[in-house]
Amino acid sequence: MNLLLAYLLLAAGETSFLAPAEGDDPLAATLAKLRQAAGKSVVAIEVERDSDPDGITGSGAVAQHRDYYNRPKGPTSGVVYEAGGFILTSRFNVSGGIRKNGLKVTLWDGRQVAGELLGTDEQRDIALVKIAETELPVLPRADYAKLRPGTLVALLGRSPDPGQATVNLGILSAMNRMNRMSVQTDAEMNYGNAGGPLVTLSGELIGVACNIKPEAVWGQSGGVGFACKTAEIDGLLERLKKGERIEAPKQPYLGIRPGEGNPDVEGIQIADVMKDSPAEKAGIKKEDVLVELAGVMLTDFESLKEALESHKIGDEVILKVMRKAKDGWQEKSFTLKLEGKAEQ
Amino acid sequence: MTLALALSLFLAQDAEKIQDLQAKLHAVVEKVSPAYVFFGNGSGVCISPDGYALTNFHVSGDRQGQRVRMPGGRQFLADIVGFDPLGDISLCKLRDAKDLPFCELGDSDALEMGQHVIAVGNPFLLGNGSWEPTITFGIVSALHRYMDNPGYFDAIQTDAQINPGNSGGPLITMDGKVVGINGRIDIRRFMNRVNTGIGYAIPSRQIQRYMEAFKRGGRVFEGFIEGIEIGECGDARYDNVGEYGDGVFVARVDAGLPGGKAGFEPGDIIFEVEGYRISNANRFHGVVSNWPEGATVRLKVRRKAEEKELKVFLGDPAKILERKRAMDATDLGFTVNAKMVVGPVAPGSAGAKADLKPGDVLMRVDGRRVGSWTEFRACLRPGAEMTLTVARDGKDLELPLKVPRPKTDE
Repeated sequence: MNLLLAYLLLAAGETSFLAPAEGDDPLAATLAKLRQAAGKSVVAIEVERDSDPDGITGSGAVAQHRDYYNRPKGPTSGVVYEAGGFILTSRFNVSGGIRKNGLKVTLWDGRQVAGELLGTDEQRDIALVKIAETELPVLPRADYAKLRPGTLVALLGRSPDPGQATVNLGILSAMNRMNRMSVQTDAEMNYGNAGGPLVTLSGELIGVACNIKPEAVWGQSGGVGFACKTAEIDGLLERLKKGERIEAPKQPYLGIRPGEGNPDVEGIQIADVMKDSPAEKAGIKKEDVLVELAGVMLTDFESLKEALESHKIGDEVILKVMRKAKDGWQEKSFTLKLEGKAEQ
Repeated sequence: MTLALALSLFLAQDAEKIQDLQAKLHAVVEKVSPAYVFFGNGSGVCISPDGYALTNFHVSGDRQGQRVRMPGGRQFLADIVGFDPLGDISLCKLRDAKDLPFCELGDSDALEMGQHVIAVGNPFLLGNGSWEPTITFGIVSALHRYMDNPGYFDAIQTDAQINPGNSGGPLITMDGKVVGINGRIDIRRFMNRVNTGIGYAIPSRQIQRYMEAFKRGGRVFEGFIEGIEIGECGDARYDNVGEYGDGVFVARVDAGLPGGKAGFEPGDIIFEVEGYRISNANRFHGVVSNWPEGATVRLKVRRKAEEKELKVFLGDPAKILERKRAMDATDLGFTVNAKMVVGPVAPGSAGAKADLKPGDVLMRVDGRRVGSWTEFRACLRPGAEMTLTVARDGKDLELPLKVPRPKTDE
C-alpha cells in the first residue's frame, strides 16, 4: 500500500496540518496529527558495540549481500513505556557487546541521554532500557477488544533526524502470531523503525515492533511485521526491570524450509536446508520430500510440527524422504539427531 | 480564529472519511476471511457453498485428496477438478462440503487503478497452527500486465503485500468479491523471497471464462488462434501495417485451419477482440488467452478502408481430438475403435493391469452401457476402482480398472 504508506512528513508545526489538504488525502491530516502527538513518546536508540554476532548474517553467498541483511549503522527506535524513564525496544536493537556508556537515547525534543540496558526477552524480542528522566509522555493503551484484522494502524519510528518521527500506515493483518505474543501488521517495518510503537490512528499503543533481524525469512518492509502485545510486555515488566535476561525455550527442529510447490507424492517438499542444521548433518537435501518422521506420516508442515512436539532434543529419529531419481521417486531413510533451537 | 475553525471542520470531515474506510475494511475482512482456504504451503479461496475452491496450479499440483484447512482449523480433503498449468489456476472441490462460507467472483474488468483491495493469504505459513489468515491492504497498481512462463498474460498488479504462502489466495475488492488469484511477486533481494510492492493476480474474468472447462475436468489449455501468423503493427520490414499501437497485423493465413476458415486475410489489422481494444502483440495474446481452447471469439479487423467482424474458433479441432486421444492412450493405455473394440494395450498401463486384451469389446462400466469412447470416458472417475464388462471369445468378463489420476503433462 505504498501510496498511502510511508508518510514521512517533513514539514513541522502547523504547515504539516495544512499541507496534506492539497493532496486531497483524508488520511494525511490524521497521520500528521498522530505524528505530532504520539511522536513525543518515540525515542531514537544508538548503540556502540565491541562485538555484534546477531547483527551479521552467516557465511557464504548471503554474507556478500550485507547491505540488505546486516544491521546497518545509525539509530533504531524505542518507545516510552513508563513515564519514569522506562523505554521499551526490540531486543535485537540492543543485542551484542555494548561498549561502556555506549547506549544513547535521543528524546523527541532532541536531547540525548545515557541509557542502561535492563532486562531482555529473547522469545518476544523485547528489551527494557532505563534513562534518568521523569515525566516522559506515555501513550494511552489500545483496547484489544476493539482491535481486529483490518484495523488501520500506524508504525512510528525515528528518522535519522531524531526530532522527526516516521509514520508508516498499515492494517492489522492478524491478531495472534508468534505463539499469540504478537500481532501482525502490513505497515512496512525495517531495521530503523523496529522497536517503535504500533499504534491505532488515535495514537493508542498496540505493541512494540519486533522480530526484524537478519535471519527473519520475512525480511524487511515486505508487508509482514510483528508487534509484541502490551499485555505480554506487562506480564514480564517486573522481571525486565530487575535486569533478567530471559532466554527462549528451545524446541526440537530439523532446519528445513518448506517449498510452496506441490510434489506428486504426499509430504513436505523442501525448498531449502539450513546450514549446519540437523537435517543437513543427516544428509537431507533440497527438493527431497519428507514423508515420515519416527513412524508418523507427514502430510503438511503442520503435521511435522506436531510430530516434532512429541520428541525431545537429543532424540534420534528415523526420517523418511522421497528423493527424485532418474526413474521416479525413491524412498530413503535417514537417522537424525534432534537439536534444539530457540523459537523465533 | 477563522483558520482554527476551518481546520477543525476539515479534520472532522477527515475523521468521517477515515471512519468510513475503517468500517469498510472491517466489513470486508469479516466477510471474506471465513472463505479462505489454507492449501498446503499456499492459499486458496472457497467460491461456492458446496466447496469449489480456487488456487494456483503451482500450489495444488494435480494430486487428489490433499489435506486443506479453513480458518479455525476445520479440515477437508481437496480434489483437483480442472487445472491450467500454464495460466497457473486450479479449480478444486472440497470433499463432503456443504454450506461453506464462500466468496463470489467479482468483475475484474470493472477494476480501476488506485482502487483499494485486500489480499488474504498465509505468508511464510505464519497462520499454521492458529489457522488465522493474514490480511494485507493496498491498491490496484496496474492492469493487464503481461508475463509468460507461467502465463500471467492479463495480470492485475497490486501493492497489497503478497509473499511466499500467499500464492493461490484471493485479491478482493472492498465490496468483498474475488477479483483475482494472487500468484506471483517481483523480488529484488538476493536469496530472500520477500515482496517489494509488486504482486500479480490472475483476473477473475479470465477464471470465469475457464470455469466451464475446469468443471468438465482435467487439463485446460489457453485459447490460441491456429492458422494465422501475426506481426506488430508499425513493423518497418512490412508495408501498410499501420503504426505501433494500432493492433496486430495478419502476416500469413493457413486456409485449412480455423484462422483461415474464419476469413482472415493477409494484411488485416486486428484491433479488437471481444470488445477489448488490442494495442500490440502482447495484449492480443493476453486477451485471446482470456478464453480457453474450444471457445469462439469475435474480433474486429481493419481491411483497407473497411472494418469487418470475424468469428474464430480457438485451437484446432483436429489437434484437440488427436491430443485427447493421445492423452487417453497414455492415461489408460488403450483406446477403442468405433465398434468399441479395444486396440493395442500398453504394457504396465491401467488397461494392462485390468487384464484388458486387444480385441475385447468394451460394453459396460459399473453396469452402465457405453456406446462410444466419449461416453466411456465420461463414466470414469479419476482414482476410482471401476468394473469394466467386456466381451471376449463370446463370453462376458468383468475386469477391475483402476482409473488413473489426470496427468499434468501431455
